[in-house]
Amino acid sequence: MELNKENIIRVINQGWINFKRNSWLAFGTVGIMVLALLIFSGLVAFNVVSRAAIASLEEKVDVTAYLKTEASDEAASEIVRELSGRPDVAFVNYVSREQALEDFKKRHQGEELIQQALSELGENPLQASLEIKAVNAVQYASLVGFIESGRFGSLIDKIDFYENQTVIGRIQKISSGLRVGGILVSLILSVIAVLITFNTIRLTIYSQKQEIEIMRLVGASNWHIRGPFLVEGAIYGIIAGLAVLIIFYPVVYLASPKVQTFIPAVSLASYFTGFFGQMLALVMGSGVALGIVSSLIAVRRYLRI
Amino acid sequence: MIIFDKVTKEYNGNHPNHNAYRALDKIELEIKDGEFVSIIGPSGAGKSTLLKMLIREETPTEGEVLVDDVRVAQLEDGEVPLLRRKIGTIFQDFKLLSNKTASENVAFALEVVGAFPEQIEDDVPKVLRIVGMEDKARNFPHQLSGGEKQRIAIARALVHRPKILLADEPTGNLDLLNAYDVIKLLTKINEFGTTVVLASHNREVVNAVGRRVITMDKGKIVKDQEQGKYAI
Repeated sequence: MELNKENIIRVINQGWINFKRNSWLAFGTVGIMVLALLIFSGLVAFNVVSRAAIASLEEKVDVTAYLKTEASDEAASEIVRELSGRPDVAFVNYVSREQALEDFKKRHQGEELIQQALSELGENPLQASLEIKAVNAVQYASLVGFIESGRFGSLIDKIDFYENQTVIGRIQKISSGLRVGGILVSLILSVIAVLITFNTIRLTIYSQKQEIEIMRLVGASNWHIRGPFLVEGAIYGIIAGLAVLIIFYPVVYLASPKVQTFIPAVSLASYFTGFFGQMLALVMGSGVALGIVSSLIAVRRYLRI
Repeated sequence: MIIFDKVTKEYNGNHPNHNAYRALDKIELEIKDGEFVSIIGPSGAGKSTLLKMLIREETPTEGEVLVDDVRVAQLEDGEVPLLRRKIGTIFQDFKLLSNKTASENVAFALEVVGAFPEQIEDDVPKVLRIVGMEDKARNFPHQLSGGEKQRIAIARALVHRPKILLADEPTGNLDLLNAYDVIKLLTKINEFGTTVVLASHNREVVNAVGRRVITMDKGKIVKDQEQGKYAI
């Protein structure tokens, strides 16, 4: 008898009526929820971008080891063979001194001064180098260690790796900082949203004091008394969630081409189109959870049964 | 059967700086099924607290309240509504919802316990007929006199077919004529077998009932007479 269809409809109906009667309060309540959920969604989008940025940078990382000029071609090809045999090396490319000079000349074609300086120098000033790519970005450190301290160590002049590493490190630091900041801000906003929703529900409870008293007296079941307030909280969450999706998706579509010019590998638009279902569930779920948690607190605190 | 077993109720008893106020002091009382009991006494004697114990609006600090062998204070939260459906209550201020008509006020009591619409359509007119208000079913409370409002409140209390009816100063806002009407109605309900517990300090009303009278003062029962008169 308690959980029939009539009953559920009555409870939902009453929750909807509560919501409508509170229209101005509802506006503020939904507004702050929207803010919290928007920051939260922004955080999700930022995560996608920063992860893609790091991934694409890691892909670009390679190590260039410059050989001393006295290193012979035979020694170089031996190094190449040894490195290629390692499981953590994806590929090794040997650029000889002649090749390097050729490339350099090609790159600076038409630059009179440089060409002149080269011919005045008389001999090839460039070093032979090895471009090494690891299977995984984290393996570079040990790879560099191997090259430096291995038996070819004496042939290596310098290794160009640390600069890239600092860039990656910096991006990771910035993005994790922003992530922590974002989580903090959305947490604070969520708490504010809960407080405001809680207050709204409290006012509804107060305005319905008489109905609640009579319901208790005539023996209304507890969930029948509490249900409408939980429904009201959930409605705030649903509406806030919808508003967030309506704001979020156009912004993503607008921002997507701009992000893509920085990081070509990531298309925000297609990413979030692909994950629309999950995004809908996440935003709506968080909204409804915020609303219901707030009502539960208000109901527990202010609604005697 | 209602039993009060050495029931004491103290307020602020836990606070070290407050002197505990004793609303009820070791009350021992038994009310049998089908009785009509009037509880009289000055304001603050503990009449209302006594009634509130029966529907667990209040719980005893010490002692035990039993309704049909059920220990009221030990009910789970979910069981309290079931107790309250067995016990109808009416008050001095009627407690009707002003935005609902007479019949909607009565129907409300059924709606919130999850009754089916057919049952509501069936029961509401019946109970309105019992209290003689079938003609005013569509009136809003502000269109009714005090006595009529109390009849609607009684109808609402009766709609769950309660075994016990608690009336806390039901005639406090009524003139003598209306008060007699309400008392007559309560007597009639009692004759159908419902236990009625009436708290009042209206001498004429209590004397008109002419049944068991319990006199309270300062949280104690000072007199319990089978055929009592109002005398303080």
